[in-house]
Amino acid sequence: MSMDTVRTIDRSTGVGILAVVGLVAVYLIALRTDAAWPVFWISGVAFGVICQRSRFCFVAGFRDLFLMKQGRMMRGIIAGLAVGTAGFAMIMATVIPNPGSGVLPNDAHILPLGIATVLGGLMFGFGMVLSGGCVSGSLYRMGEGYLGSWVAIFGVLVGLYAMARTWNWWWENQISMDRLSWLPTDLNYTGAVVITLVLLAVAYAGVSWWERRAFAGMSFTLPVIPGSAAPPAAPGADTTLGALARKVFRAEWTPLVGGIALAAINILIFIRYRPLGVVGEMTRWSTDFANQIGAGVGELQGINDIPGCVPRFVEGTWFTDAFMLNAGIIAGAFTAALLAREFRLRIPRGPRRYVQSLGGGLIMGYGAGLGLGCTIGAFFSAIPSLALNGWIYAIALAIGAYGGTAFIRRFP
Amino acid sequence: MTNESEAPVLDVRGEICPYPMLRTNRELDEVQPGVPELRVWTDHPPALSTIPPEAMKRGYGCEIAERAAGEWEIRIFNAEASAAG
Repeated sequence: MSMDTVRTIDRSTGVGILAVVGLVAVYLIALRTDAAWPVFWISGVAFGVICQRSRFCFVAGFRDLFLMKQGRMMRGIIAGLAVGTAGFAMIMATVIPNPGSGVLPNDAHILPLGIATVLGGLMFGFGMVLSGGCVSGSLYRMGEGYLGSWVAIFGVLVGLYAMARTWNWWWENQISMDRLSWLPTDLNYTGAVVITLVLLAVAYAGVSWWERRAFAGMSFTLPVIPGSAAPPAAPGADTTLGALARKVFRAEWTPLVGGIALAAINILIFIRYRPLGVVGEMTRWSTDFANQIGAGVGELQGINDIPGCVPRFVEGTWFTDAFMLNAGIIAGAFTAALLAREFRLRIPRGPRRYVQSLGGGLIMGYGAGLGLGCTIGAFFSAIPSLALNGWIYAIALAIGAYGGTAFIRRFP
Repeated sequence: MTNESEAPVLDVRGEICPYPMLRTNRELDEVQPGVPELRVWTDHPPALSTIPPEAMKRGYGCEIAERAAGEWEIRIFNAEASAAG
C-alpha cells in the first residue's frame, strides 16, 4: 500500500486551490469590465478543464484510427458533434425561422467553401499530427506544463502571420468568390439535422467497425490508473463532498463525456454570443505583434464580411472576449492538472521533437488561417452549424492526418 | 510495489503521443522480443490508455502505478507466467 491512503492536502492540490482562487478573481474583474468577458472566461476555463480531465484530443481522434485502429477518441468527437448539432439547430431556428429565405444566421460557422477549405484542412491535419496536438489541444497542454506545446503554439502564431501576409491574395483569387453552403437553405432544418445526424451515425458505426475488425476476438479492460482514480479512502475519514470532488477532479473522464461536455459549452456560448473558435484571436495576436515591430500586414480584405475564425480588432483595447476564452483554456487546464496532481514541466527529448512541434505548428497555423478555423472553429463548430464546409474540412483533416501519420511512422 | 521489480525500464518521459506507445511497441517487438516483464516510465497521461491495449494485443498483462505527481510506471508482464506465480 502506498502512503496515499492517509491523505492530507498535498502541495499540488494546495497550489491548485490557489489557482481556483485566481480563476474566481479574474472572473470577478471580468464581471466589472464587460458583459461578454465573464462568459468567455468561464467557457474557456470549462473548455480547459474538460479537455484536461478527459484527455480530449482531436489529433488522437484522427491519428489513432490510422496508427492503432483505435476509435475511442473519435467516437467521443462524433458524440460531441451530434449533441452540438441538436443544440445549434435549435438556436439557429430561433434566429432564422425561415431558412429558405437565403438569410444565414450571422454567427454560425458557415464559411466560404472552396480550394482554401480543402487545402487548409489538409495542412492542418498534417501539421497537427506532426506536432502532436492541434491548436486548442496545444493551448490546454501549455497549461499542463508541456514545453513542446509552447513551441507548437509559437509555430502556429508564425504560421498565422505568414497566412495573414498572403491573405489578400487568397481573398482576391479564391475566398471572395467561394460560396457559403448552408444545408437548411435547401433541406429546411429537419432535413439538415436528419442528414447530419445520419452521417454522424454512419461515421460512428464505421469507426466501431474499423476498430472491431482490428481487435477481432480480443477483449480486455484497461488497467485502472491509481494516480488518477480516487484512492481508497480510510473509512470514516472521507466526507461525501470530498469523495465527490475526488471523483470529478482526480478520476479520468472518458472521451465520450469530454465530447458531450464540450458540445454543451459550445451550445451555451452560442446561445448568447457565437460558437467556439480559437485561431481568429491568435491571428490578431500575431498580426498585432507584427504591427508593433513594424512588420504589419496592413488591411486584411473581406474579414469583416465573413463569419468564423478571422481576427476581430476592437478599437481602444487590446483585451477582448476572445482573449478571455483562449487565456481561460490555458488557465483551466493548468488548474485541473494541479488538482488532479498531474501538472508537471514536461521537456521534450532531443532537438528533433522541438523541430517537429515548431514545424507542425507552422503548417497548422497556415492551414488554420487558410481554412478559416482549426479543429474547433472549422470542424467542431462548423458541422453543428449545418454547414457543408464543416464536412469538407473534416474529410481534408482526415486525409492530412493520414499523411501526417505515415510521415511520423517513417521518422520515429 | 513500484521498486520491487528488477525488470528492465523503458524511460519515455518527455515524449508525447504517439511516441510512448510506438517506442514501447518497438521494445516489445524488436529490441527485447519475448521479454517477460518491462517497466515503462511516462509523464504523458494519454499514454496510459494507448500503451496497455497495444501490450495486451501482444498477450501481455498491464498494471499502472503512480511514481510521482504526473508520472507513472506501466508494468507490462507476461500474463501466463504471472498467473502461474
